[in-house]
Amino acid sequence: MRALVGLLGLAFGMLLAVIVLVFNPLAGSGTLRPLPADVAPIKVYAWDYRGMAIDNASLLGLGQTVRGVALLDPALRGVRIGIVVLPAGEGTSAALAVKVSTTADDNSLWRAQLGTNDYWNIFWPGEGSVFASGSSNYWGMLRDYFLAAVGGSDDASAATGRLVSAPSPSGSPVGVAGASGRYAGFLGEIREFRYPAAAGARKAEGDWGIATQVTPPPVTTR
Amino acid sequence: MKRLFVVTFVTGFLIVVLATALWPLPRHQRFRSLTAVPPDGGRQEDFIIHWPEDRIARPGEESAGLPAAAVVGAAVLEDSAGRRASAELFRLRDSDDNVIGVASRVAGTGGAIADPGRSSSNWLLVIPSRGALFLAQTDALDTSVREQSTASGIVAIAPGATAGFWTDRSPFRVTASSPAMNGSATTGRVLRGTNEFSGLEGTFSEVWKLEEADVAGTTRGSILLSTLTAAGS
Repeated sequence: MRALVGLLGLAFGMLLAVIVLVFNPLAGSGTLRPLPADVAPIKVYAWDYRGMAIDNASLLGLGQTVRGVALLDPALRGVRIGIVVLPAGEGTSAALAVKVSTTADDNSLWRAQLGTNDYWNIFWPGEGSVFASGSSNYWGMLRDYFLAAVGGSDDASAATGRLVSAPSPSGSPVGVAGASGRYAGFLGEIREFRYPAAAGARKAEGDWGIATQVTPPPVTTR
Repeated sequence: MKRLFVVTFVTGFLIVVLATALWPLPRHQRFRSLTAVPPDGGRQEDFIIHWPEDRIARPGEESAGLPAAAVVGAAVLEDSAGRRASAELFRLRDSDDNVIGVASRVAGTGGAIADPGRSSSNWLLVIPSRGALFLAQTDALDTSVREQSTASGIVAIAPGATAGFWTDRSPFRVTASSPAMNGSATTGRVLRGTNEFSGLEGTFSEVWKLEEADVAGTTRGSILLSTLTAAGS
C-alpha cells in the first residue's frame, strides 16, 4: 500500500510539472500576430530539404540521422537547407528561393522556446529579390503533441495550419530586406506557417507557408 | 500515508523541473572567427567554397553519371519571357578550410534585375553558431545556372563548372565594379546581418578560381567571398 501511494505521488507530481511546463505561465509572448491576408497572402510550399528534420525529437536533440538527407559535418548538425519554389498567384509571379533553418542556440524549455532561426533568399525572375530572416517557435507543436497523447488521439496536429513565427529571443533584427530589382531597398515583415501532413500521405512532413509584406523605402529629399 | 504522498509528489515535481533545467538541448559547434582588422578599420573575413565537393546535393540527387559540366544542388526557374532565376547550395568554409556553415547563391536575369547579358546575385551565408550575412551584387556577366537537356535528362549547368568558361580567365572576379544600368542599384554590398553580425554593413567581392580542368571537361576550383564590414549607421 505504501509503495502504491508513493508511486501515485511521484506520478502525479511529475504530471503536474509537465502540465505546468507545457502551459508555461512564464512563457514569452508566443507567436507574432498574422499579417493581413489581403496584402500578404500565404504561399504554401513543399520544402525539399537536406539536413535535420524539424520535429519535436530533433529540436529536443533526440532526432535520428537520416542517411542521404542529414548533413554530417559537425557544424551543420542543426541545419536544414533546401530550394523552394513559391507558387504564383494573387498578384505575384512564381519565385525561386532558398530557405535555411538552424536550431536556435537560445532555446530554453523554461521559457517555452523551442525553435529555429530562419533565413530566406528569394528571387522573382525578371522582377527582383529579397532576403528575409525570422524566428520560429514550435512550442505549440509540442503542446499539440502532448495534448493528443494525453487525449489518446494520434492526430497531433488538428489545426489546419499553425503560425510559427515568433519574436527573436536574442533580439536580432528580423524581417524582409529588399536586395535587387524593383524590391531594392524595400523593408517588410515575414510570417511562416506549418501545416500538418495529410492523413495517409507518404511524406512524413506536411507543407509550409510563408507570407511577406514589403513597403518601398521612404522618400528622402536633398 | 498522506505525508508519503506529499513527499513523493514533490519529488516527482522536482524530477521534471530538474530534467527541464538540465536537458541538453542541441547547440551548434563553433569555430574561432578568423577575422582581421585592416589598417583603415572595419572587419575583414574571407569565406571559401570548393567546387564540386562543397555543393550540397538535393535529396535523391547523385552526381555519378551526370555530364562533366552538370552540377548537383541547383535549380532553375525560367518564365515564358526567358527571364531566369537559379539557386545553388553549398557548404561554407573559413580560411582554415573548416566547414562552418552553409551558403546559397541565387542569381537572376532580365527585366528589372540586370542588364542584358548580365545577372545579379544574392549570397545568403549562414553560420549556425554566429548568424547570417546577406550579400547582394551585380555580376560582371551572366553567372546564373542554366538547364540543359541531355541523355541523362535535364541537368543544371553552372558557368564555372564548364571548362570552356576558363579559356581566357582565371581567377574571375564575379562582382561587377559598378551596378547595372537597369535594375540593381548596388554591387558588392553586405546588406544586413543577424545575431553576431547584427548592425554590420559593408562590401564584399566574389572571385572564382580554377584549380583543375581535365580532358573530360570536369573542373575543380574555389569561390572566395571576401567581406569587409563595419558597424552601420
